[in-house]
Amino acid sequence: MSIETNQDVVLCLKDLKKDYGTKNVLKGINLTVQRGQIIGYIGPNGAGKSTTIKILLGLESEYGGRVEIFGEEINGNDINYKRKIGYVPEIAELYDNLTANEYLTFVGELYGMDLQAADEKARSLMKVFGLEAVYHSRISSYSKGMRQKVLIISSLLHNPDLLFLDEPLSGLDANSVMVFKEILAVLASQGKTIFYSSHIMDVVEKISNRIILINDGKIVADGSFNELKEQNKEGTLEQIFNQLTGFNEYKALAEEFVSIVQRI
Amino acid sequence: MKNFRTLRFLDLFRGLFESFGINYTVMRRILAVKLTMDGRRTPTIFNQQTKKKKKPEENGFMKSLGIYVLLSLMLIPFTMLGSNFLYQMSIFYGIVMFLVMTSMISDFSNVLLDVRDKAILLTKPVNKKTLNVAKTIHVCIYLIFLTTALTAIPLLIGTYRHGILFLLLGVIGLVLVNLFIVVVTAIIYYFILRFFDGEKLKDIINYVQIGLSVSIAVGYQVLARSFSVVDMNITFTPSWWQFLIPPIWFGAPFELFLKHHSDFYIISFSMLALFIPIIAIIIYSRLMPSFERNLQKLTHNSGGGSRKKHWWINGLVNVICRSKEEKVFFRFADNMMRNEREFRLKVYPALGMSLIVPFIFMFNEIQLNSYAHLVTSKWYLSVYFSCLMIPNAVAMLKYSGKYKGAWIYQSAPLQSLAPLYSAVLKVFIANLFLPIYLILSAVFIGIFGLKIIDDLLVVLVTATLFTVICSNYLKGTLPFSESFEDALQSGGLKVILALLCLAVFAGIHFAITFIPFGVPIYLFILIMITFFSWKQAYRTVWNF
Repeated sequence: MSIETNQDVVLCLKDLKKDYGTKNVLKGINLTVQRGQIIGYIGPNGAGKSTTIKILLGLESEYGGRVEIFGEEINGNDINYKRKIGYVPEIAELYDNLTANEYLTFVGELYGMDLQAADEKARSLMKVFGLEAVYHSRISSYSKGMRQKVLIISSLLHNPDLLFLDEPLSGLDANSVMVFKEILAVLASQGKTIFYSSHIMDVVEKISNRIILINDGKIVADGSFNELKEQNKEGTLEQIFNQLTGFNEYKALAEEFVSIVQRI
Repeated sequence: MKNFRTLRFLDLFRGLFESFGINYTVMRRILAVKLTMDGRRTPTIFNQQTKKKKKPEENGFMKSLGIYVLLSLMLIPFTMLGSNFLYQMSIFYGIVMFLVMTSMISDFSNVLLDVRDKAILLTKPVNKKTLNVAKTIHVCIYLIFLTTALTAIPLLIGTYRHGILFLLLGVIGLVLVNLFIVVVTAIIYYFILRFFDGEKLKDIINYVQIGLSVSIAVGYQVLARSFSVVDMNITFTPSWWQFLIPPIWFGAPFELFLKHHSDFYIISFSMLALFIPIIAIIIYSRLMPSFERNLQKLTHNSGGGSRKKHWWINGLVNVICRSKEEKVFFRFADNMMRNEREFRLKVYPALGMSLIVPFIFMFNEIQLNSYAHLVTSKWYLSVYFSCLMIPNAVAMLKYSGKYKGAWIYQSAPLQSLAPLYSAVLKVFIANLFLPIYLILSAVFIGIFGLKIIDDLLVVLVTATLFTVICSNYLKGTLPFSESFEDALQSGGLKVILALLCLAVFAGIHFAITFIPFGVPIYLFILIMITFFSWKQAYRTVWNF
């Protein structure tokens, strides 16, 4: 295919399979991502979203199929491709007994920045998010939203070309969400590629220019929101999601729930 | 972040690391972060101490080494007196192994078990080898500091006495001992994680922490007496079971090289000391990958595992709680105190101490007089020492690791929170005080005979009354509603007052024992007082 030889291909998965013992988590994912795309990567809990991202980041090493990032197949020994990747994990995992200053410069240095540059950049970014005053306080004293902002900054500090965001908006207030969505749009327009994974359909619907829905370890839909809408004759991404994942009993479940609540 | 001296020392070997394909800059940075974080933890050994105002950046770990230096003094007799090496050095290594291992489990488990490392570091351009070497160096730095603090003084004194060969053997022995400890700890974790989930492992670590606190406290007692206890003239008779006791292996080389005492047993022990740690390391490196896989269990818990229902709790609830609210809070407080690891860490060491202290005093008495004399004396009143932990433990009831959950009391439709207090105190007496009391009572009845039963009942009622008095500490704050961070270990005047009060109770009791039928009458009066004071406190102290 012509697309796959294109140098604008950032990410290419071929027949990606993964199992934990007898449980098949990924059953053959094929996917090609071009530069500048914002991919909304969605699916029900346990569909294999996080597993995919873990494989792409080299956290899982035993899998079937082929993974190419920036045109080269990844393997356990060459870690250089990670220099151009940024990652916001789903659970806010960070060393929270460090201060933001210490943590961010540490991460910056791991990506090969020098201390001075990382410090300056981190401070300026914290300032934009209104966190300048707590730059030297321990992260363990932060609120959930503040931690999330630190994670976001740590993923962008080294100006990566490819971003993996797993539920990046959790805990952010509405204003910060607007700022962040705008940041993503600007980054994408400058040629960064964003892999966005979330359960909040409204946001995915608005920011992604391509949506990939996986269910039970396979891709069940791939296309822009408008394309999905045409194929499925449903109004919102949420409804399309329900339809494609074969979930149509939400009304029955809700009624059951309420009826139990009303029991005395 | 400061520039650690340890790391500057490590810089000397930069070339060596790089020749093994390790990214030294990255490794150094990871170590700097790890050391910074270590400095911010409070080691278990400090758990019992008064918490001072937070000073900026004081290294808790480095300060805890001071305590180990102090403890090392009790090892001096074993290296200085006599030359019964097999016996002395076995005890020396035994104590070192015990302290290093417990300290490793209690303070360093989160290094061995840190699951964040993978998610945070391996997603960055850091290769696995560099990370693994960084972790290994981190553990080594810790062990070197700890072992040095614990053995430097005794070893130097021993060297002065027995010559330079002693030092050499001592150091090699310590290196092997440390290897052995690391592997044994890791293998223990491996098996726990294999068969249980992460919660179980955290519980076990918690109990080791509690054990460490108790044994350090007991260690101070032994410290004062170690010179008189040590009998250097014990003759050694080798037998097969000694093969099962690792410290003896490590004691043997001293006998072999310093006294040229080379029989079959001594040589075999020395061989074990050398080869077992090396074999253990090889096994460990084989197990490493599956250990890492099991580590993932720490994060996602298998859930399931229906908790044991404590049938007697349900029975007890109905007997000692009257109102419905009180029953609800009783079960709640029971679950909270059972599950909260931080609470256990603060309170259980004191429980352990109150179990041991009465016997320490009685041993003194036996050493001074005789056992026969003890039995006829009034030393059973030392059971009052078990009440010493009450003021502190009651003061701890207002703290919780999850103190933010306390909003539930306010938002629930409750007339008064007094049932909460009385339930919490009842749980405290039933779950924490009563077991200690019952064990002590059983042993004391064994020693002093059935005649002391009414005295023991007096102590039980006094303890209940004393708990009510101590509940004044809780006045104004709800149970489980403040962070342990704020716990100023309630030292000072309050506790001294409470203890004086306890001394008065014990004094009255002692005086009453001289009056015929005094004890039963006193018991009756005490029950009445306790009953009314509980009611009174219910209406005043606990009600606001």
